[in-house]
Amino acid sequence: MPKSLAVNLSRHPPLLLLLLLLWAVPASAVPSFARQTGMACAACHTVFPELTPFGREFKLNGYVLDNMNQIKGITMENRETLSLNSIPPLSMMVQISYTHTGSALPDSVVSGALAKDGEVLFPQQVSFFYAGKIADNLGAFVQLTYDGAEDHFGIDNTDIRYTKHFSFGGANDNDHSLLFGVTVNNNPTVQDVWNTTQAWGFPYSASSTAPTPISSAVLDSGAGGIGQTVAGAGLYAWFDDRLYAEISLYTAAIVGGAHPLDSTQHHVVHSASPYWRVAYEYRWDRNSVELGAYGMQVREYPGDGKPLQGASDQYTDTALDAQYQFIGENHLFTLLSTYIHEKQKLDASVADGFAFNTDNSLKTFKLTGEYTYRRTIGGSIGFFDITGGTDSLLYAQSAVVGSLANSPDSRGLIGEINYLPWLNTKLQLQYVRYTKFNGLSNDYDGAGRNASDNDALYLLAWVNF
Amino acid sequence: MKLNPMIALVVGVTLYAAVIAKAQDAGATRDQTALNSTLQTCATCHGINGKSVSPTFPNLAAQMPGYIEAQLKAFKDQSRSDPDAQAYMWGMAAPLNTSLIHAIAEYFSKQPGAAGKSGDSALIARGKHVFEEGVPALQIPACATCHGAHAEGMAIFPRLAGQHAPYLLKQLLVIQSALRNAPVMHGVVKDLTKEQIEAVVAYLESI
Repeated sequence: MPKSLAVNLSRHPPLLLLLLLLWAVPASAVPSFARQTGMACAACHTVFPELTPFGREFKLNGYVLDNMNQIKGITMENRETLSLNSIPPLSMMVQISYTHTGSALPDSVVSGALAKDGEVLFPQQVSFFYAGKIADNLGAFVQLTYDGAEDHFGIDNTDIRYTKHFSFGGANDNDHSLLFGVTVNNNPTVQDVWNTTQAWGFPYSASSTAPTPISSAVLDSGAGGIGQTVAGAGLYAWFDDRLYAEISLYTAAIVGGAHPLDSTQHHVVHSASPYWRVAYEYRWDRNSVELGAYGMQVREYPGDGKPLQGASDQYTDTALDAQYQFIGENHLFTLLSTYIHEKQKLDASVADGFAFNTDNSLKTFKLTGEYTYRRTIGGSIGFFDITGGTDSLLYAQSAVVGSLANSPDSRGLIGEINYLPWLNTKLQLQYVRYTKFNGLSNDYDGAGRNASDNDALYLLAWVNF
Repeated sequence: MKLNPMIALVVGVTLYAAVIAKAQDAGATRDQTALNSTLQTCATCHGINGKSVSPTFPNLAAQMPGYIEAQLKAFKDQSRSDPDAQAYMWGMAAPLNTSLIHAIAEYFSKQPGAAGKSGDSALIARGKHVFEEGVPALQIPACATCHGAHAEGMAIFPRLAGQHAPYLLKQLLVIQSALRNAPVMHGVVKDLTKEQIEAVVAYLESI
């Protein structure tokens, strides 16, 4: 301190007193109230992972409801700098499954031989979760998954959110509520709170070894498609617990393989690919109904040995969705539906010899009904229909996975019976029935395999704890 | 420059008073912020005006503040343990302190009560009879004795008027079965038949 400004406090008792008084600012009042949960599964879920209206609110509010003791920090201005759960909200899930297809699949190496029909996966999947509050208004859902079929452990669905809530209007200034949120995630639709979109849509679990149709829309491709190969950030608003709007941007974020990303990678999303979502939910008595639309425009390089330069493929998805839920004392019923229209501009794939037509389209329609009695026993039935333009290279003929008709058209039903002896344990029998697979009902692959040969019986034990 | 001690003292006291006042203002603002934040959470199920959409969650509008306080305390110490109390309210009430509980009760008690919903008029008429006369043959006193002539509530006896019928039905059933610990009410309602319960809750929802 410069000598000229130095003050000998001991020679100026009033000044000393003043300074002492200024330091003795009393700590008063309670720091900000931390919203809490500690509620049974039934509060947020009908049958996991499907969400109730309260579960949707919990997710939209950023996963910050928490009833645990917090380790706290505040500044001298009483601004909160830390709010850490004393016990981290960790959990895990285990899935053990059995799959049996209509007909055995061919051996992958020995021509003419058959692979084993009927397979147990122990586990099919083990996942670890951190789901909850990180700091004030900041919450996260982080999933790490071990995949038994692929013997691979890695990052799975992850959604980190920051939210801010405003009330306004009316005599108490709380007639209207507006919630703003930021989401950072790695799978378009993981941030969605309705069960009509792919990340949390029906079927909530399926065989990882049975054959699946040759093509699906980008917004319907999930893990193995766009999920966990991109990272995105977005802004959303939730008005009066009714109206939702979101805009997010995604870019490539591929785990594993060559880094920086190069021609050895596959489906590398480039620049910022926008994802948008609007939805309107109306609740009355024990019912809720939602109508919405969503979409995405993805530009990507095919990779697969071709450099990540020049022409790219563009997929433009525009979709509608609807959900109805009835949550009664004894009976719970849900109806889910979505229609996705995808326009494909495959300039890069055509130039690289992966597709024949530069312009193509794919239409996907799903309609599912679910019922459960007292969240203990129930069933679901879902109809799916994929149709699209033919392409001799994109949908080339090949045993089991290809198409004699060069078509992606696939259609069928998924039926499930569920038994939950406890709220966190699901025992399921699922049957997938194909009436059309990769373009045809009979001999769809030119090697004699029928659509019904891919019908799959799937038994699942799914435990969360 | 020599500092005039008197001026220093006056300035000092003035500054101190301003700082204290600001701290108290900030404290009051923090209390209000804490209450507003809490009420947003309550509103998710009970509605910001205390009128809930789903009958799983009761209306709190115009409820007796003493009753709301008693229930929040019972959720907090887990002495109220019916299934929905456990599933929803134990977690919700765990972090509440006494002053927040009081403020929540005050807030909802001041909201205008829910309007009655019309229904089966014969059922409602039977329910009105049970509410106003009780069931003398079974020595069941009139509900109105404690809950008020118009079910508006009295002291710690809750308002029942305009409450969701399915919620009232469930409470009477869990009180009868003692899943909800309410010894006085259990004694009163233990002999009510299912038909009488259905009638009286239909009446209460309608007023």
